[in-house]
Amino acid sequence: MANLSIFERIKIQLFNTYGREYGKMLIHTGIIGWAMSSVAQVFAIAFNEKIPKEQKMFMIPQEIADAAINIVSFYAVTRTLSTLANKAVKCGKLLPGNVSKYFNTTLIKRIPNKIKNLGKANFDVEKYVRQMPPKLKKNYHNFKNGIDVLATLTGSIISCNILTPVFRNIYASHKQQKNIAKYNNTLQAPDKPQNKYSKYYPLGKNIYSFTNRGDLKI
Amino acid sequence: MLNVSNIAGKIQRTSNRVMQKIANSVPNMTVSNKTLLKGIEWAGKHISSPQNRLILGVSALMSQPFIDIYNKRVDEDTRRASASRTIAKILAGTTSGFLVRYYTIKAVEKMTQIPAKCKKSWETFFTPSPLHVKISAESIGQYKNTIGTLLALGVMLMTNFLFDAPVTKNLTNKFIAYDKKHYRKNNQDKNHNIELNINTNHLRPTMQNFMNNVGKSAKGGANG
Repeated sequence: MANLSIFERIKIQLFNTYGREYGKMLIHTGIIGWAMSSVAQVFAIAFNEKIPKEQKMFMIPQEIADAAINIVSFYAVTRTLSTLANKAVKCGKLLPGNVSKYFNTTLIKRIPNKIKNLGKANFDVEKYVRQMPPKLKKNYHNFKNGIDVLATLTGSIISCNILTPVFRNIYASHKQQKNIAKYNNTLQAPDKPQNKYSKYYPLGKNIYSFTNRGDLKI
Repeated sequence: MLNVSNIAGKIQRTSNRVMQKIANSVPNMTVSNKTLLKGIEWAGKHISSPQNRLILGVSALMSQPFIDIYNKRVDEDTRRASASRTIAKILAGTTSGFLVRYYTIKAVEKMTQIPAKCKKSWETFFTPSPLHVKISAESIGQYKNTIGTLLALGVMLMTNFLFDAPVTKNLTNKFIAYDKKHYRKNNQDKNHNIELNINTNHLRPTMQNFMNNVGKSAKGGANG
């Protein structure tokens, strides 16, 4: 190992670390990807001279919220849907017709006590896959794979394309109103000269506002 | 005394029980329709990372701009600009996302061959040394996915700044300009017509009164 190049060591490390836990890595790289994309888009908005400042006050929080909510909704919706779909197939709640028939006609004769639990949460179809004929085994694996992909895709569409835009807009509009109010306050503040006597005369502020009314100049 | 692991264990057991109850209450389902089965199998075989990105991009184009347009919490200008930027971002992001994923996976596929089966050195560029790891068809498959995803992430970190951000900016400006030119012009014309109608409606009686008054005063003046 001592004579190996850095590149070779990285390859071996990746092979041993992520070779079996690809799913975990997919989530981590996905989060990094969303965050970096958001940073790039924030720069693009900030340096776009053609977008007015008030609109930037909406778009920048919108972009930041987009990445954050995407990550949260991915965990809450996509992962949950994918887990539920996988669980449904694994426990026999959702199966292709020929596999279900095999369980209910062939296997039930051999091990009736176990197969009667088909579809219950603690049942594991995978234990019996080895006993299946090759064609059924292939059908089961293809079906499981397809359901996993479709559940993840459905979850991603719901979380990334419906929930995220709705919640990011709520957050961004709230933030925009706050920022505009703040901006207006800072713009108005220099117009009011500091009344250095207000400390000594409690009515100073009122007097000031009274003398500055356009129709009552003294 | 309460322990964190105890609490975590209780939560885990409760959620398992809830999951179990939900699973037990839903009836068993069987998919027997051949077309549906073929569709499910096709999805599992053909929808991988690039296709997933493309489907997400197309569905995003059908939902996100409308969510922005109907966001009544902000003024109309912001709403329309936000929708324009969303369309631009989806177009740029989907194009680069699909192409980067597709070509990265292709490249990794060609450059991570099992050493015994290939002749050229570049074909094993990403393959770990077989002297140090046990390479099988299954393990190399997962490893290819890992390398492909990492490489795609690295490339996308660059394309985010070098392609996505500038293209989104340019497209946003073009869409906003187009929107201003077409939609707002039509809207202004409509508003202008409404204003004109209101103004003339208000003016008509006044002008009539004025003309009547002028007529009366002229008559009176002549009489006087």
